[in-house]
Amino acid sequence: MNKAIGCAACASLLAGFSTFVMGADFPNPLPPEAIPRVETLPAKYPTGWAFLNYAGDRIELRNVGSDSREVKGQLQAHDSATILISDQRPELYVADTVWSRGTRGTRTDFITIYDKQTFNVVDEIVLPGTKRALITAMEGLTTFTDEQRMELVFNFTPASSVTVVDLVNRKVLGDVEIPGCSLVYPSGKRGFSTLCQSGTLLSIRLDEKGAVAGRSESKAFNPLDTDPLFTASALIGGIRYFPSLHGRIQPIDMRTEDVKVLPDWPLVSAADASGNWRPSGWQILASDEQKLLYVLMQADAHEGTHKDPANEVWVYNVASKARLKRLRLVRPGSSISLTHTADPLLLVQAGERLDVYQASDGSLVRSLDLPGFHTRMQIDPAR
Amino acid sequence: MAQFDLITEKMLRSMAGRTSRRSIIGMLGSMLAGASSLPLLPVGHANAAEAKSTDGPPDPNSGETAPQSTGNPQDPGDPTKCDYWRYCAIDGSLCACYGGTKTSCPPGTEMSPITWIGTCRNPADSRNYIVSYNDCCGGLPWGRCACQNNQGDRPVVRPQNNNEVTWCFGVQSQSYTCTVSIILGVAIDQK
Repeated sequence: MNKAIGCAACASLLAGFSTFVMGADFPNPLPPEAIPRVETLPAKYPTGWAFLNYAGDRIELRNVGSDSREVKGQLQAHDSATILISDQRPELYVADTVWSRGTRGTRTDFITIYDKQTFNVVDEIVLPGTKRALITAMEGLTTFTDEQRMELVFNFTPASSVTVVDLVNRKVLGDVEIPGCSLVYPSGKRGFSTLCQSGTLLSIRLDEKGAVAGRSESKAFNPLDTDPLFTASALIGGIRYFPSLHGRIQPIDMRTEDVKVLPDWPLVSAADASGNWRPSGWQILASDEQKLLYVLMQADAHEGTHKDPANEVWVYNVASKARLKRLRLVRPGSSISLTHTADPLLLVQAGERLDVYQASDGSLVRSLDLPGFHTRMQIDPAR
Repeated sequence: MAQFDLITEKMLRSMAGRTSRRSIIGMLGSMLAGASSLPLLPVGHANAAEAKSTDGPPDPNSGETAPQSTGNPQDPGDPTKCDYWRYCAIDGSLCACYGGTKTSCPPGTEMSPITWIGTCRNPADSRNYIVSYNDCCGGLPWGRCACQNNQGDRPVVRPQNNNEVTWCFGVQSQSYTCTVSIILGVAIDQK
């Protein structure tokens, strides 16, 4: 018996011994597995799940409410894509833009309608005119109105307009010109408000066919030269709260067609003024079921730092306009949101991490990786 | 400045109501071409970081692109780095890292004539310069040399001072690739 034959015999013996030992522990082999098999999601997502929009380039559904922290699914996104999550129909709506040859060729703007359980494409609505605003995914680029029957899409070419889309019949209804104004926020039963360069708020009422039924413009209240409002907002009891770059909070009542700009109030008290605290970040506001307002705040703020990550989250009772607590973050955060539960979790995008805190006491519960991500996240927790 | 914004807004509102997109682009392009002669423009002063020293030979085994220089002591800094003074309001990828330069687009892309503007202080001559941040469009974006500086950036309600907008207008493809920074002129400070 030469060496080679000897080695082969040894290997066979070892393999047989190994099989014998393993078989003793696992007498039955693994069963054959079904092909093909694709995961589906529950009709109602757990409240510990959240959609994470990576600056309009990628959208994923993530389990942020469990230490398992797994990805539940992903949706295509290409350029400045935004997502609307319906609770009236089992559907998701992603507004996006592609070119037929990658970064060149024919441009198409479209809304993809996904089934919430399968993530299969149900339908799509092509948006005419290749004018959808290509701006880093942010609040105000798209919104529902008319109890989610319509979607409004902000266009910028750089002329401003809004495309009105019927999501039930899956067709475009028309465009509304809003020269000099930007972004869309739902107001009234069927309509929207938009922020204008003159410092005013233009409010448009729509009829059932998506045509303009009325419009009104507020007096100037947004001082763009000195202390402009961020375009991020939080909704509490039908009132939308916008922070300003220097630290005011501006409530606007958008519950009815008679939109009212309410008195503003300061986020920073005189006692804290020396710290130069200001709102800062990307998705800088959040609100919870207790009607509390959460704001990302940064110390030593100055010109040019308004999108920098912030070190603290300040929590306010908007009725009393009082700050209730300060939550110190373990890592500076750029975007925040709250899960829709009685005891909410505070979700904070901090660089390539999504830190999950207990909102009640600010304790860090867990941290999720966000590989390859830099900044500009939109967080949409499931309802 | 408030007057300037008011005029701009009125022009945009008026134009949007009666002209095509291309003619708007042409008109705005003309406006921007003449921006250097405007007496007043939004001035957000840059706390421009001191240019990094490029003394000494670069390590050829570092794997990184060697530091670059403008070659002009009055224009100090490395155009492939975010702290180059004229990048004070840039939000995007630096064209100097993609085959372009601080003022030119990479091959195969197209420069948008419509743009946003900032004002940056040159640490060498202590002047505030109006800088046009033109986007280069139609190429391959992949995030190299990504910078986020926001001096003078304002919410998108004032789009001409906002750096989140993809400023690819009047070009064949509106797909963003990178951004250059072009001096339009010296700003006249109000203060």
